[in-house]
Amino acid sequence: MNPFRRSPFVVVATILVYTFLYAPILVLMLFSFNASRINVTFEGFIPAFGDRTVMDGSLVTQSPCGPFHWFCELSKNRDVMDAAGNTLKIAFIATIVATIIGTMAALSLQRYDFKLKPFSQLSLYIPIVIPEIVMGIGILTLFSQLFGLINNSLHLTGDSRLTLGLGTVIVSHIAFMVPFVTLVVQARLHGFDKSYEEAAMDLGANEWITFRRITFPMILPGVLSGALLAFTLSLDDFVITFFTNGSGSTTLPIYVYGLLRRIITPQVNALSTVWILAVFVAVLLLQMIQSREQKS
Amino acid sequence: MRKSYLMKLLVLLVLASMLLTACGGKTAATQPADGGKKVTASGFECPQPEPRMEVTSKELNLFVWTEYIPQDMIDCFELVYGVKINRSEYSANEEMEPKLASGGADYDLVQPTDYFVGLLIRKGEIQALDHSRLPNIGNFDPGFMNKPYDPNNKYTVPYLAGTDAIVVNTAKVKTIPKSWADLWNPEYAGRMIFLDDSRAVIGFTLLTLGFDPNTKDPAQLDAAKAKLKELIPNVKAFDSDSPKTALIAGDVDLGMTWTFEALAAQQEVPTIQYIYPTEGAILWQDNWAIPTHAPHVDAAYAWMNYSMQGNIFWLTLRDFTYTNPNKAALEYAKANQPEVYSAYFDSPITNPPAEAIANGHGIEDVGDATTLYEQIWTEVKQ
Amino acid sequence: MLKRLRESKSSQGTLLALPTTLWMLALLIIPLLLTLVISFGKRSADGEVIYSFTLNNYTRLMGYSTKCDNGAASCFDPLYVSILWRSLTLAFNTTALVIMLAYPLAYFIARSHPKRRNTFMFLVLIPLWTNFVIRVYAWMMLLRQEGVINLILGWLARLFHIPFQPLEMLYTPGAVLVGMVYEFLPFMILPIYTSLEKIENSLYEAAADLGANSIKTFLRVTLPLSMPGVVAGTILVFIPVMGTFIVSDILGGRQVILVGNLIQRQFLDARDPTFGSAASLVLMIMTLIVTYFYTRKFGFGEEIVVA
Repeated sequence: MNPFRRSPFVVVATILVYTFLYAPILVLMLFSFNASRINVTFEGFIPAFGDRTVMDGSLVTQSPCGPFHWFCELSKNRDVMDAAGNTLKIAFIATIVATIIGTMAALSLQRYDFKLKPFSQLSLYIPIVIPEIVMGIGILTLFSQLFGLINNSLHLTGDSRLTLGLGTVIVSHIAFMVPFVTLVVQARLHGFDKSYEEAAMDLGANEWITFRRITFPMILPGVLSGALLAFTLSLDDFVITFFTNGSGSTTLPIYVYGLLRRIITPQVNALSTVWILAVFVAVLLLQMIQSREQKS
Repeated sequence: MRKSYLMKLLVLLVLASMLLTACGGKTAATQPADGGKKVTASGFECPQPEPRMEVTSKELNLFVWTEYIPQDMIDCFELVYGVKINRSEYSANEEMEPKLASGGADYDLVQPTDYFVGLLIRKGEIQALDHSRLPNIGNFDPGFMNKPYDPNNKYTVPYLAGTDAIVVNTAKVKTIPKSWADLWNPEYAGRMIFLDDSRAVIGFTLLTLGFDPNTKDPAQLDAAKAKLKELIPNVKAFDSDSPKTALIAGDVDLGMTWTFEALAAQQEVPTIQYIYPTEGAILWQDNWAIPTHAPHVDAAYAWMNYSMQGNIFWLTLRDFTYTNPNKAALEYAKANQPEVYSAYFDSPITNPPAEAIANGHGIEDVGDATTLYEQIWTEVKQ
Repeated sequence: MLKRLRESKSSQGTLLALPTTLWMLALLIIPLLLTLVISFGKRSADGEVIYSFTLNNYTRLMGYSTKCDNGAASCFDPLYVSILWRSLTLAFNTTALVIMLAYPLAYFIARSHPKRRNTFMFLVLIPLWTNFVIRVYAWMMLLRQEGVINLILGWLARLFHIPFQPLEMLYTPGAVLVGMVYEFLPFMILPIYTSLEKIENSLYEAAADLGANSIKTFLRVTLPLSMPGVVAGTILVFIPVMGTFIVSDILGGRQVILVGNLIQRQFLDARDPTFGSAASLVLMIMTLIVTYFYTRKFGFGEEIVVA
């Protein structure tokens, strides 16, 4: 019946691959409790709770937070909070815009024929098949030249100058998210049964009402999937953000990259652990929703 | 049914982002400065600014070297002036400049190294300083002022200085190198770490050939390129961010690095030593400059003055110990932080002996020849 | 006017597609065109773009050099071609390794009990959603001289009384390969799983009834039906690997130079945007060519949507 399921080769391979996937993450999380500040080898857990932090060379021997010392340091770190806030702000705004215009585009590509169609289609496929860095460089070049031109010709100074910042990052994120949203919604529209819509129209509903009450609710799961995909793409993005950010628009991936360039204290690990746990909770929620969806 | 769950997820996300945005916005810096005592997260008590300057800007964008500014310095400025500091970092001058050149950057302060200042002035990317807005400029040792690359400090004020020299873990290396030329010893293959600094590395290669490290002669540069090509395969890693990490971790046993990296490594692993090569170490000085289109110039001047104060600048002796050009800071440390001061004074790393300085070479701006150096660097690092 | 809008299907279509098309025009097409224009330019002494028309950047990329050792007027300098080649081979190797690792796992999950599949996929999604940069850092901790792997190996060696020198794993091309495989493995598991899951049990039963053994079943039934997933996964892995620069930056000690690093450096360190633009476009063209031939042979894998 299932000729391969118990095949030892597959089982062993599976175990190895899961180990491969998780070993680095688990080591990472373990080291966020490292007593050694320089974080090269694991020197044990920080033993004592106390009223202040005591260090013996590079070892933390006492801390108000005990073994969770680095997490406490993390919570006092304002830069991290700023970066996290930026990351979410950007992801949120970009997702909303990308989802709306992406859904519109999907509808148009799937159901209409118009002169612009080949161009639209092509422009949406290209970002998927080129490396991010090509797009990042292009956008950076565009903004540099454009802003330089505008700033100089209008003699803008100080705060009114156009610069790289949250705005440019958001705009760029939308650009690379839209193709994915469109693809997902298009896939959903692909097997769409038009008979419901036709029935509604026959019963006298105009196109807008049909859309609002029949079409949209039916494609909503696809739209939300696309939105979720876009959201995660934005949260995790490094390359595009790297080329389009300015001061005050640092996101978490950029911030971690910056941290890796300094003395790497276990604080980085603590940040990673928090991130992994957040992902864990998010994926758990998602799975719960999906399993309910499957039931209903 | 499923709609409502997805809706709930979305609502959750909205709340989460609102929460984090709110947290991010509430900073110590949004409290207006008053007469009360300001203490940073690490417990350092912030001195008052002397003199206190007029600042209307709410933010200050610093674009600085990695691992270079004491956190307490930043925190104190935010606390006493109520200005939010955004810090972006770079690890090479060549990485900083394109961001200034492109129309899009909005930094208020940058830290060019000596040889790079000429280029920035030529391209009009930094503005002339108004010395009347820098009352604390007298705190500096005249030996670090009025340098050939910026006469009368028209554009820059000093920050920190130091050397590039050889660093070696004497416990792991049999033959201790004494000169730059010694680095070509095959015994060191695959065990070295160098700064990712084109001018410094090409510079010391030129020194081993007896040439001027700032030569513009293409023939000499070609010779240096050939010699460097022999050395590069022996280098395990290039790192201008935190080379001490690899040294401490034992991934590399020797190399070439800056003052403080060697000192910090030595503090963790006492067998690590800093050696001034016989051909001469590379001397350098970093400076503050204000980009031409800085949006918050008043905050920039306030920062420079505040950080120049002796009772603030001494923090660099404590956190990032490089050669200190600030007389006032040294005097303050001598009087109030004797341990920090003597650690600085007694170490030949942070306080190089006179011969090392006399023997040393600075890197200078080479104008058009810069392209030649850059091409060499790209070609040898393949 | 609105009436005409309502009646004309094609103008409705245009209107709906307009925002997206304009966005992509502004942020994709125009930047690419700009990159093209700049790639034909010259670099000023101070690193600025002089707009002109010269093919110097491209010929330089392809190896044309006027600084020859034997005094000849022109010769071949393999520097940049070798970088391009290195990136190509790394991308191929990574993709191959990823497929080898992903397939068994995806197969296992697809053929396990439906109730447990979600849990297994859940375990795959967590690394996928964990930040890219963090995952690269994790490997740094494992691979360094005194890192976890050397620690374990050293302990084992002592146990068996074998003399042991710590392995030099970090800052090598091998480290970069491992890092790349690790980063992109989940991107292959997902599509392969999706396509495998669609294969109905009845097909396996039919094959068994017809007398096929396990290997034949795999080759004739499973593998062909899972191809769309493999193709989609390949596209999701191959293309990013060609352009990634962080992995080689962090795990390669800035010594392993791939095309992504080359481009990044040209824009930051070497300050030669004309050359960087040319390299960027060559990268794009190479990627498009490989993708084109690949999808012509195997299909685009559109049926697989990663969500």
